[in-house]
Amino acid sequence: MIDYLSIANGSLFYICGIIITLLVILQAFLFIRISFREGQRCGLAKEQMFKALRVGVVTSIIPSISAVVALIAMVPVLGIPIPWIRQSIMGSTPYEFLAAGIGANSMGVHNLGGQGYTAPVFASSIWIMTLGSFWAVAIIVFFLRMLQGKYSKITGIDSKWKNTMINAAFLGVFSIFIAGPITTGGLSLLALIAGGVIMMILAFLIIKFKLDWLKEFALTLSMIGAMACVVMVTQIFG
Amino acid sequence: MSSKRSVMLSDTGYEKLIHKMGRLTLMGGFLASVLPPVLLWLVYGVYPPFKNLLNGFIGITAVMLPVSIVEVLTFAPILGAGAIYMSYLTGNISNIKIPSAAIALEVTDVKPSTSEGDIIANLAIAGSALAGEIILILGVILILPLSSNLNSPILKPAFEQILPALFGAIGAYYILKNWQLAIAPVSMAIIFGYLIPDLNSAVTIPICVAFSILAARLLYKKEWLKTDAGAVTDDL
Repeated sequence: MIDYLSIANGSLFYICGIIITLLVILQAFLFIRISFREGQRCGLAKEQMFKALRVGVVTSIIPSISAVVALIAMVPVLGIPIPWIRQSIMGSTPYEFLAAGIGANSMGVHNLGGQGYTAPVFASSIWIMTLGSFWAVAIIVFFLRMLQGKYSKITGIDSKWKNTMINAAFLGVFSIFIAGPITTGGLSLLALIAGGVIMMILAFLIIKFKLDWLKEFALTLSMIGAMACVVMVTQIFG
Repeated sequence: MSSKRSVMLSDTGYEKLIHKMGRLTLMGGFLASVLPPVLLWLVYGVYPPFKNLLNGFIGITAVMLPVSIVEVLTFAPILGAGAIYMSYLTGNISNIKIPSAAIALEVTDVKPSTSEGDIIANLAIAGSALAGEIILILGVILILPLSSNLNSPILKPAFEQILPALFGAIGAYYILKNWQLAIAPVSMAIIFGYLIPDLNSAVTIPICVAFSILAARLLYKKEWLKTDAGAVTDDL
């Protein structure tokens, strides 16, 4: 039934992953070179610049592990190489799931993997995950230079409203995925509630014991915890 | 010694080079990211019907177009061009890239939004991108032997509920942060769910997003929102 997974784990997609990873590494080295040259011209010390590079590496290790944990959750549904590619470039974990979900929805399927999640539905998820980043790329490629020009006045925009608007736009689409389980009930509703409860417990722990490192993992851990609840319930009552 | 960014523009090829290389690598990255679905179609003959694909694209556009515009407007004044091109190629901007640039500026004691600040941010974000890619490669190598266990029938129902599990957590996050914002879109979506359960997402998503933004604008104008409401993606 899950025949699309044998396609999804094909070596062709691993090659795509390698190409994309190399591209990111190439960009990073290119920009490091350009920045070092320009930095020396502005009078920055070499040690200072190495320090910045090192700080970038060190501060990103723990948060990047959370991407791997999310990757593990995606593997049974989307295979290994495609989630690897998606986590390597553009977007973040919630975005990828959101886009994969919209891709499934547009095929009339309301879950990832499982019943009705056929090869074309899988393809739809992948297309939407990919095309969703088109807008950000297009805006930057065409308008960034202009936006950062000398006469740009964009600093004056009310930043509090900008944050609120981004939250509201995301909530608009998240709400569809929240309302779904509420109207259908069953295991979906259980997963929704469990995910919410675990998130609240983690938020409480983060605030109470000042566990800042846990912040980055709260979402993924809540998701996996809720999935564990589903397994328990199906094992007991199944 | 710190000079405003714009002053440096005219007398150096740096800015020009950054935009040129940034555009090339970002476009190249996007085109490369289209490879998997294209290969799925050309090599395996697996693709969604065009009508469904278009509906899905309308759905994701309804949220990502306004969000991308506002995000770029937010980041353009605070991050240099190099930092933006790198951040957008690799993603995880507000949760990983911006914090590591901020910490690098702090430890090197360089002011942001200066020519020097841009260089420091570029280097920190480049380091961050490299670390992210390497950790993912290690993750994939680690997952490979595990993957057959992950497909066990006992775990199957759990993975089928992956979306509700995630969105339950996201929902709770909003309730903690700014529950007022959630009322309008969630009740709208529930009404849709009960009345017209099979309504196309190309219709429901734009309506819910627009309604949510309008309601947020009203709440914002009336000052009914908590004051410290950062973007939700900050901590996710």
